[in-house]
Amino acid sequence: MTAGTLLLEARHVTQRFRLPNGQLLEALRDVSLSVCQNEVVALVGPSGCGKSTLLRLFAGLARPADGAVLYRGQPLEGVLGAAAMVFQSFALLPWLTVAENVAMGLEARGVDGPARRDAVARAVNLVGLDGFEQAYPKELSGGMKQRVGFARALAVAPEIMLMDEPFGALDPLTAENLRSQVVDLWRDPATGVNTLVVVTHSVEEAVFLAGRIVVFGSNPGHVREELENPLPYPRQERSPEFEDMVDRLHAILTATLLPEPAPAAPQRLVPFPRVHVSEVTGLLDHLLTRPGGKGPVFELAEDLGVDYDRMSAVVRGAEQLGWVTTPGEVVQLTQAGRDVMAMDDAAHKDATRARLAKQPLFARLVAMLKESEGAVEDEEVLADLTIYFPFIPADSLFGTIVEWGRYAELLAHDADAGRLSLLGLPDGTSEARSEA
Amino acid sequence: MKLLRFPPALAPPDVRRLGLADVAILCLLGGAIAAVVAFAREFEAPFSQAVAIDLRFSALPRYTLYSLARGVLALLISYLFALSFGWTAAKSRAAERLLLPLLDILQSIPVLGFLPGLVLGLMSLFPTRNVGLELAAILMIFTAQAWNLALSFYNSLKSLPEPLREACQVAGWRASRTFWQLEVPAAAQGLVWNGMLSMAGGWFFLMVNEAFRLGDHDYRLPGIGSYMSVALDRGDSTAAFLAILAMVVMIVCVDQLLWRPLVVWVEKFRLDDTAGGGPAPSSWVLDFLRRAWLPRRAALLQRRAYRRARRAARQLERPFRAVGPVIWQAPRFAFDHPLARKLGFGLLFAAIGAAALLGARSLWLLLTQLGARDWGALASSAALTFARVMAAVVVSTVWALPAGVWIGRSPRLARALQPVIQVVASFPAPMLFPLVILLFERIGVGLGLGAVALMVLAGQWYILFNVISAVAAIPEQLKDAADAFRLPRLARWRALYLPAAFPALVTGWVTAAGGAWNGSIVAEYIEAGGTLRTTKGLGSLISEATAHANFPLLAGGIALMSLIVVGWNRLVWRSLMQWAQARFGLAA
Repeated sequence: MTAGTLLLEARHVTQRFRLPNGQLLEALRDVSLSVCQNEVVALVGPSGCGKSTLLRLFAGLARPADGAVLYRGQPLEGVLGAAAMVFQSFALLPWLTVAENVAMGLEARGVDGPARRDAVARAVNLVGLDGFEQAYPKELSGGMKQRVGFARALAVAPEIMLMDEPFGALDPLTAENLRSQVVDLWRDPATGVNTLVVVTHSVEEAVFLAGRIVVFGSNPGHVREELENPLPYPRQERSPEFEDMVDRLHAILTATLLPEPAPAAPQRLVPFPRVHVSEVTGLLDHLLTRPGGKGPVFELAEDLGVDYDRMSAVVRGAEQLGWVTTPGEVVQLTQAGRDVMAMDDAAHKDATRARLAKQPLFARLVAMLKESEGAVEDEEVLADLTIYFPFIPADSLFGTIVEWGRYAELLAHDADAGRLSLLGLPDGTSEARSEA
Repeated sequence: MKLLRFPPALAPPDVRRLGLADVAILCLLGGAIAAVVAFAREFEAPFSQAVAIDLRFSALPRYTLYSLARGVLALLISYLFALSFGWTAAKSRAAERLLLPLLDILQSIPVLGFLPGLVLGLMSLFPTRNVGLELAAILMIFTAQAWNLALSFYNSLKSLPEPLREACQVAGWRASRTFWQLEVPAAAQGLVWNGMLSMAGGWFFLMVNEAFRLGDHDYRLPGIGSYMSVALDRGDSTAAFLAILAMVVMIVCVDQLLWRPLVVWVEKFRLDDTAGGGPAPSSWVLDFLRRAWLPRRAALLQRRAYRRARRAARQLERPFRAVGPVIWQAPRFAFDHPLARKLGFGLLFAAIGAAALLGARSLWLLLTQLGARDWGALASSAALTFARVMAAVVVSTVWALPAGVWIGRSPRLARALQPVIQVVASFPAPMLFPLVILLFERIGVGLGLGAVALMVLAGQWYILFNVISAVAAIPEQLKDAADAFRLPRLARWRALYLPAAFPALVTGWVTAAGGAWNGSIVAEYIEAGGTLRTTKGLGSLISEATAHANFPLLAGGIALMSLIVVGWNRLVWRSLMQWAQARFGLAA
């Protein structure tokens, strides 16, 4: 199918949200993107990069704070009638039957009586749910529920189908099966659906489905790169061309997720990634088992069964502590990383404390604590974090700081009193001692 | 393979003929119609200040039905209020900021204080008919029912998953359709459970609502509450006992015939797929009704009639098709257009603001009439009643906490006792006050202390309920861990049951204290056996001011009590609740 007329367009769109704690979060900044007829566009990127936000702007569920969203050259007014949406959480009404859920969008489009019954029957048939018309969603498995979600979208014969991580809540087998069916539905002229925009977490999924892949970066969300995917349908996941494409996308994403540290301004305050102590230890443990103590970040994510953006956060954490380096998309265990894994628990904690004290954010916190005689109110730290890192929810970053500080016996936290205090002053000798 | 296509269990639904269930339904329908007619006649009856109450046993069913009709009407009004109030608060941020604190205050102030004003106002509206007095009684019940319903609906709206809302938007549903097909069903469970609580709360002041004295006037409406108060006035203990019996029968019937079936039915509207712990609730009435042939037949006939009517109407509709959209445009425009909506909310706020200002002005005018001595009396009475309320909370906790833990520990016991406790708790405690006080006098306890016992009666159930449900909700694995490490009994209470029950206990305290404050109005001022007993306190001061139509003092008493309750809620209970949640909440 060839790309046709311009359908949807986002022009310099910026979107902001207010968090419950009052912090203003910029989800998208100056994003421009267009979607043409007969296209399948995939939006990928780390969580919190605003790809779902953009999808909701396209659907007309929200209005951008700045910029404009256009449908066929006209600014969007309210919900876009030409689009249907598929949700990650299915979003089925539990008190309606499958048939009633599928019919949800028909009435507003003036489809009534026998025509409505036909449309429902056709949609139910397309996704292979015949016989389940009178079932309630709670009687169905996850995969079946999402079929209802697809049927509900297909029933209105939408010009554009917007999908928000449609396979994200499904088990891998079901997801795989449903994914190829989506491609079949798209290629089948009978469905009348020929333009798809899909938000996804999975690189393979994007390469399998999309003709154009848009990679988002985060903090705040922005378009980093657009990639054409010329592979012919149906795509073979084991073919070398497919794997090439996946690797290319991995490389782009790695550059997004693990940016090379800027050599200038070495004392710039970097936030500590919000990862757990056990996750970093787990990563080091896994690297030890690999030849040469290294591996590409996507392979590691697959081995350990975590999302790639979670994996890259863990890698960044380990990197900030000097236990791994990341030349390109490869993660390499350093000597310090090997050493720390050989230590007993107490020495491990000492080494972590010494490393943490050098991390700019913790160093700053320690300095602040020393100035105020070893203890500060939580509120004060939270306020500072909000100022330094306006794009990161301060509560959650604070939780990470407390966890690492407690583990390394660097900080103590009294949740009842709401105070953070300094425990062991880093003397810098412990690591030297254990390395000797 | 034909067998597979026609499973034997599948019998066509119309085979069954009229059965016992259908006869029961017909009888009930007839009874309901008769009751409505009788009640309407009572509404339209010419005004008489104090109807003569017939103390014969045969009159009791009629009185019970009257009281029930008032309760049900008030509940319907409460639901209407809750839906509109909750929706407004959830949709507009400005409304939310104004309405939620208002609700918080309304649900914690003693509603009884409004009765005189309400009666006088409504009676001047309908001077010749009974309607005014009836409406006042119904509105008084409403003020005891509405607030928790509104709060429940608001909370449901706020916790609705965003994707569901978006799905309705993408489907192009109008606001009204989303309301009836998404928002109300999603809130149904909370609305039914809270309706049950509201109904029970509405009975609390039954006796006062139906029979009270204002200055020289004696107001009385036919009902089970006035029956009871007349029986007590005349010292007719048989009649008093019969009234209590009738009340219990009514509560059990309402529970079995109305609430149980509703509770089972709304299970359908549960949002999360996972069923809650334990077996699904069951209702013999709903099973009975589901077996009945008549409702199904009626539904079928109704559907057929609807279809026929649609077909016939289509011919007539044609000329209106062109005009229809124009007519519809206006309300839809008002509903959907942001400017119009803002205008609507603006007008609403202006009205509320104006009413508030007017109310504040008249209250100020009343309060300025009070002298220094009056204020002194108010303050000392308030201190006494405050001490009684706290004592009542302590006494209630002393028995209800261990009992609640004991019951909640065993799921089987909790399940078995739940309906019993529910009925007992729904019983309006003030109806028992005179009997309890007579008993106390026999053993030589005065009303000063006796009032504490009465306030315990009014508040204890909230503590018991909350503790039972909190202990029953302790994860099984925690109990297993306690078993596995062979925790001694004392340590088990200290380490597991008491901390787990604590947040719920605080919630129980808040409501129990509220109940005790409300109860003080009738507990410190009691007519039993034809004589009046009072003891110094804010409650008796309010009751006395009502009886003597001393409006400045009444206003002062109500204002002071509201201030104390709201202030204590804000300063003490709320921070205690937050601390308990943070420290002992199981979710964290």
